[in-house]
Amino acid sequence: MAGEDADWNPGRTAIHANPKTLAKRPAVLFEPMLWGIFSLGGFITAFLLPVTIVVLFFAVPLGLWPAARVDHDAIARGFEDLLVRLFWFVLIGGSLFHGMHRLRHSLVDAGLKKLEPLLNVVLYGVAILGTLGALWYTILFDAPLPFR
Amino acid sequence: MADKDVVFRVKRYRPERDVEPHYQDYRIPYTDDMVVLDGLNYIKDNVDPTLTYRWSCRMGICGSCGASINGTPRLTCETFIKEVRGRTVVVDPMPNFPILKDLVVDFDDFLRKLHEVRPFIDRKEEKPLAEGEYIQFPEEIEAYRQQSMCINCMLCYAACPVFGASEHFIGPAASALAYRYIRDSRDEGADARLDVLSTKTGIWECTFVGECSVVCPKDVDPAGAIQNLKVLASIRQMRQLLMPKWTRR
Amino acid sequence: MYPWKRRAGWWLRNPRFLLFQAREAGGFVSALFGLLLLYMLVRYHEGVASYDAFLAMLSTPVALTVLALLFAFVMVHALTWFLLIGKAQPIRFTKKPLRAGTVFAINIVLWVLVSGAVLFVVFGGL
Repeated sequence: MAGEDADWNPGRTAIHANPKTLAKRPAVLFEPMLWGIFSLGGFITAFLLPVTIVVLFFAVPLGLWPAARVDHDAIARGFEDLLVRLFWFVLIGGSLFHGMHRLRHSLVDAGLKKLEPLLNVVLYGVAILGTLGALWYTILFDAPLPFR
Repeated sequence: MADKDVVFRVKRYRPERDVEPHYQDYRIPYTDDMVVLDGLNYIKDNVDPTLTYRWSCRMGICGSCGASINGTPRLTCETFIKEVRGRTVVVDPMPNFPILKDLVVDFDDFLRKLHEVRPFIDRKEEKPLAEGEYIQFPEEIEAYRQQSMCINCMLCYAACPVFGASEHFIGPAASALAYRYIRDSRDEGADARLDVLSTKTGIWECTFVGECSVVCPKDVDPAGAIQNLKVLASIRQMRQLLMPKWTRR
Repeated sequence: MYPWKRRAGWWLRNPRFLLFQAREAGGFVSALFGLLLLYMLVRYHEGVASYDAFLAMLSTPVALTVLALLFAFVMVHALTWFLLIGKAQPIRFTKKPLRAGTVFAINIVLWVLVSGAVLFVVFGGL
């Protein structure tokens, strides 16, 4: 690398980390992106999940709401609105990516470090498949697709 | 004045004769103005001269006297005996480190990690003296002031369960130190530091337990610094993926 | 040198560590709810009978108890998330970062507002 022999050589053209240090610390490829989705999923889960659970699973059995508000027709009416469809998609996908990322870190921390490559495939696989499933069941299920 | 006394239960380990560390109890008198370090000094001066521990300034600035007091990583010079709950003060060496002797731990690894993050104003070219000093506005100093207060006491490493399980983790203090220089307006070495930090055993091993910031005696908030580094590293990776030529300075 | 080894019950020694593990569990439980909601949509698309049977299955006392327990973890996750935002503020609106408690309060208010919006937009209002 011309122009940069030793540290503290004035006039050097760039600043690089010590190669010996970098050799010890394996680079990451997907981690920043996964963390970004995890963070986004965290917001989604924290803000949207509690009210959804209460309304869908507790409000009716506890007598706080009439059953008609969450029955099949009510959901169908919701699906007429694209915003509602996006809500379901984002909620499912966000909580899946968030939770799988956390589970992976928890399991690795608990001692399953050797299984990490397998965990990555399985856990993020569940998240991806779940999100794709959500995409189908919220948005694409009645879209005018060629293979219908 | 009636003498109060307290039991110091101190972890002993002498490598030439002990297989395992074990507790030794010392009953000593104390007054309300004594800190745990004063108690240890009393033991060493009057009871057991073999007790070995690190200390220096006795005022919370040198970072030498870290220990685990009743299970919490604390500076012995900043912990008053009267504030320790219970009649027994249990003093262990800082957790997560190998023990050399008694309360003295080995921290060569920690010092290596400080070196790894290039803890100096890193510039492509030094400004010649003739051009005068670097000017920094108060806001620019405020951007890194909090992380510059670190006294390298290692309590954050003692508190961090991730470091406790994975000794390769670069850890809170080294990350906070890197953040201090990245946020310094005089510095140009953010890329090189993020190359070291944005790695599997760098900041991405942190799960934001936050205990490091709880035990820090200087309110450095390494946990917040690491989360900010995660944001910086993510943005940098996005730029590298989308605009590769732009980012290589 | 006497080597260090982290003990298995490390998270039981400290209330903050316990809360941390509960928070992590809450994240995982949120993913479980994600899968449950996906399954709900599958049953919905199968028709009225299937969807009604699904909801009925989840309103038995046993199911409600389990759901309540899981919901507690979701709440722990949500509340600790609001607190964490305050502790890791990359965005600065003012010269000094806002106090973590202030950010938490703001997040609670936002949460109430967003929940209200969800109630009206998705579930047809009060």
